[in-house]
Amino acid sequence: MAQASSKIRNFSIIAHIDHGKSTLADRLIEYTGTMSTRELKEQVLDSMDLERERGITIKLHSVRLQYKAKDGEIYELNLIDTPGHVDFSYEVSRSLAACEGALLIVDAAQGIEAQTLANVYLALENDLEIIPVINKIDLPSADPEMVKHEIEDVIGIDASEAILASAKSGLGVEEILEAIVHKIPQPQGDDEKPLKALIFDSKFDSYKGAIPYIRVFDGKVTKGTNIKMMSSGKVFEIIEVGVFTPSMTIVEELRAGQVGYVAGSIKNVQDTQVGDTITDADDPVKEPLPGYRKAVSMVFCGLYPVETSEYEKLKDALEKLQLNDASLIFENETSAALGFGFRCGFLGLLHMEIIQERLEREFALNIITTAPSVVYRVTKTDREQILVDNPALLPPEGLIEFIEEPMVKASIMVPAEFVGPIMELNQEKRGNFLNMDYITETRVNLHYELPLSEIVYDYFDQLKSRTKGYASLDYELIGFQESKLVKLDILLNGEVVDALSFIVHKDKAYQRGRKLVEKLRSLIPRQMFEVPVQAIIGSKIIARETIRAMRKDVLAKCYGGDISRKRKLLEKQKEGKKRMKQVGSVEIPQDAFMAVLKMDD
Amino acid sequence: MPSLYVHVPFCQSKCAYCSFYSVPLGKILDNQKNGQIFNESSELIPQYLRGMAQEIKLRFTEAPSGVSTLFLGGGTPTVLNPRELEELLKTIHRNYIFVPEKAEMTVEANPGTLTLDKVAILHNYGINRISLGVQSFNNQILKRIGRIHTAEDISLGIKIIRKAGIENLNLDLIFGLPGQTMSDWQDTLKQAVACSPEHLSLYALTLEEDTPLGRKYLTLTQNLETNYPNDDSRLPLPDDDFQADMYEWAVNYLQGKGYKHYEISNFAKEGFECLHNQAYWQGEDYLGLGPGAVSCLRGVRTKNTEDLAKYSKMILAGEKAFDPLGTEVLTKEQLITEYMMLGLRTTKGIDLKKFAGKFKVEVQDIYGQILANYIDREILILVDGRLRINEIYFFVANSILQNFVI
Repeated sequence: MAQASSKIRNFSIIAHIDHGKSTLADRLIEYTGTMSTRELKEQVLDSMDLERERGITIKLHSVRLQYKAKDGEIYELNLIDTPGHVDFSYEVSRSLAACEGALLIVDAAQGIEAQTLANVYLALENDLEIIPVINKIDLPSADPEMVKHEIEDVIGIDASEAILASAKSGLGVEEILEAIVHKIPQPQGDDEKPLKALIFDSKFDSYKGAIPYIRVFDGKVTKGTNIKMMSSGKVFEIIEVGVFTPSMTIVEELRAGQVGYVAGSIKNVQDTQVGDTITDADDPVKEPLPGYRKAVSMVFCGLYPVETSEYEKLKDALEKLQLNDASLIFENETSAALGFGFRCGFLGLLHMEIIQERLEREFALNIITTAPSVVYRVTKTDREQILVDNPALLPPEGLIEFIEEPMVKASIMVPAEFVGPIMELNQEKRGNFLNMDYITETRVNLHYELPLSEIVYDYFDQLKSRTKGYASLDYELIGFQESKLVKLDILLNGEVVDALSFIVHKDKAYQRGRKLVEKLRSLIPRQMFEVPVQAIIGSKIIARETIRAMRKDVLAKCYGGDISRKRKLLEKQKEGKKRMKQVGSVEIPQDAFMAVLKMDD
Repeated sequence: MPSLYVHVPFCQSKCAYCSFYSVPLGKILDNQKNGQIFNESSELIPQYLRGMAQEIKLRFTEAPSGVSTLFLGGGTPTVLNPRELEELLKTIHRNYIFVPEKAEMTVEANPGTLTLDKVAILHNYGINRISLGVQSFNNQILKRIGRIHTAEDISLGIKIIRKAGIENLNLDLIFGLPGQTMSDWQDTLKQAVACSPEHLSLYALTLEEDTPLGRKYLTLTQNLETNYPNDDSRLPLPDDDFQADMYEWAVNYLQGKGYKHYEISNFAKEGFECLHNQAYWQGEDYLGLGPGAVSCLRGVRTKNTEDLAKYSKMILAGEKAFDPLGTEVLTKEQLITEYMMLGLRTTKGIDLKKFAGKFKVEVQDIYGQILANYIDREILILVDGRLRINEIYFFVANSILQNFVI
């Protein structure tokens, strides 16, 4: 028996957005001398613009730290990062499953947030040793004692030894490293057993193909090993094994307890699904590691190029993004209004926005996004059950027996003073109150059952604005529930614009229809003729607005000296029109298609 | 045969809406009156006239067999004194044959600058049409937009013009001015018609960035429906809908008074349509002389520099005074685009046979689907081989013309 090394510690960091995860990770890297400050900067620069702009870290890279502890021994510390957003809960759970311990970072002034709590529970489920770290203690409003109480009350772990730190100034970093070494258990596992490794992340490299990031539980993997993906049975020959320092560095082998990557001309990230188990094809284990599931798309929308000629370019771009993101799915879709495009599935709204922005920034594409939709389960009168993720494809009313919508269980953590507004919001959002726990005297955790579609529409923004940004949200899918749902169509100049259709609860249809036609009236520029904007359900008109005809657009003078300028103006206007979609005889600007999503007052 | 445009880049003072190149002489004249004569400035007009004489010679080969019309525009040509006007016209006649002999010859004039001796000289040198910059008959509005004349000056000016024997008179009017009401506009139109001009041009105020009015209104907000505080400093500007109402009223009114609406902005008694401008709209060649003037000959467009000093220097050195940024060699696509854009501004529209002859391609082959669609929706009308915009869509012609850009 060759036990996994006692000098290895695998850990992750659990923190709410803004509580200082990236900064602390940087400090750990710096302190252990894994990277110089200059390299560190480059590393940060390497991450997506989007992440930096939004001030959130979608994902850090994994990194192996060499730390010479006070006991004189050198330890191999593997930091496995977790994404910090509710859209990516499954990925978080798999990353946690690859560790033995986690640092729980809590902001000394703000206390625990719902997202943090959700991830701590995931960590506890995975039997992780939790090391509480109270960060930002140098803030004037810091209240570490309060936070300690909260940690003990809410999570039920001992916080008396919580480390007081300031990632910004570097305070507490050594203490944290020592705690990692001494409190987090060494990995269990056996080098001699057949290979069993967990994929916790993957990325695509244009030379090496899809590269799974793995944690080896048993056995070892070297160049030449034939590995088998247990979910699909596919076999690949390993041609490179390495670790993250944090750049990819080739090593001889990865043994039980270690973290690194393998490469083996795997063409598609779909073959390196997070949560899957890798084993040795020539000496396989019988049972995979528990917890694997295929990524589930929660939100769907149509993506269309503004210029129809860019369809191929959009397809290319989606394929490229998919190389690195197995959770992005898409298939062809045709819209009468928008032409050829794609129906795409996302883990959540943030995921959707990220993809959308990357398409526009990294691929310079002009795209129209249709209103996000969830998947509805429709039982037809002939008892056939179908799943509908595109409102335009909902069967006619007469053929529908009933419709079910996906439900989530949501936890909203909020200071007690905001309970009123939260309850009000959830009422509006068709929420079903389950219960409420007092975490401390001043903080509560409210539990609701809500339709997923309500979370998709403007829920998060409302939550933030009604609680001055203090509320945090976590949710999980719990199944389908029958509901009184109808399809609302929009008619422009008497023609249905399929890309604007959406499914909505009957009781809300009138109000939503009203708001949407008003919004469209203000977003669609006046045309040469009057354009009625109508919202209809079936054949019943529930709201109507009129875009008055444009009456003047002409430059009054046009003589010898004006001709060139005038032609250039027309050329410019024509160019501008390319950003518009011609639907029937009406020209619709790009943002009108997003109006369905943004209908807050 | 090209038409001839001669730019006179002087005014007494700049109007608040005007972005044409002109040098305001008012200050200079004032200074002269006060005895502070700046040699350089008082030399401006002679300098200009010398340059013009030279430019005509330099560019003679561009219209060797003569020109079809003359348009003396500005600025304000009539800010020149009788002697200067005579010199300018002499130079022109000495160098150009007009075909026909009794060609249309227009001079733009400001009512505040007209004297009988000036108009008599113009008439003597063949000027048979005067385009009078009236803009409004409301003295308050005139003052507000920086006009140097009053309503009374207009009547006086017209009397002089008629007395001198000019039988073709155009009045320029502007609508959509700051603080202008519908009844102001109606009153202006009625007074204009009462003067019995043969021709009327109605221009919707267009805000240009580099003008006092533009600076005042463009910087604020694009939403002109906003009500500005009702003081003289920022009077409400009629919005597009209001301008459209003004335009519609004018079109109906003038048609009732026997004026034919023959181009988006232009109205004339039968037989008095402006030939010079029609040449522009039919895509004919034109030669433009003087600082800032634009020419377009055999598909090449050039523009003279908008700087009198530079212009004079170049011309006197024997070079053409082109502004390099203003030169364009038009592609066939651009020529066709312009031909459509200009032709469709007129009520006669485009002669499809002439189009095919000129460009060796049928209109339908280029614009097949758009054309069919517009004709179907009665936005365009195709009758007797001519294609035109349905008059009710004249004021939104841009939306239509955009689709003819190729």
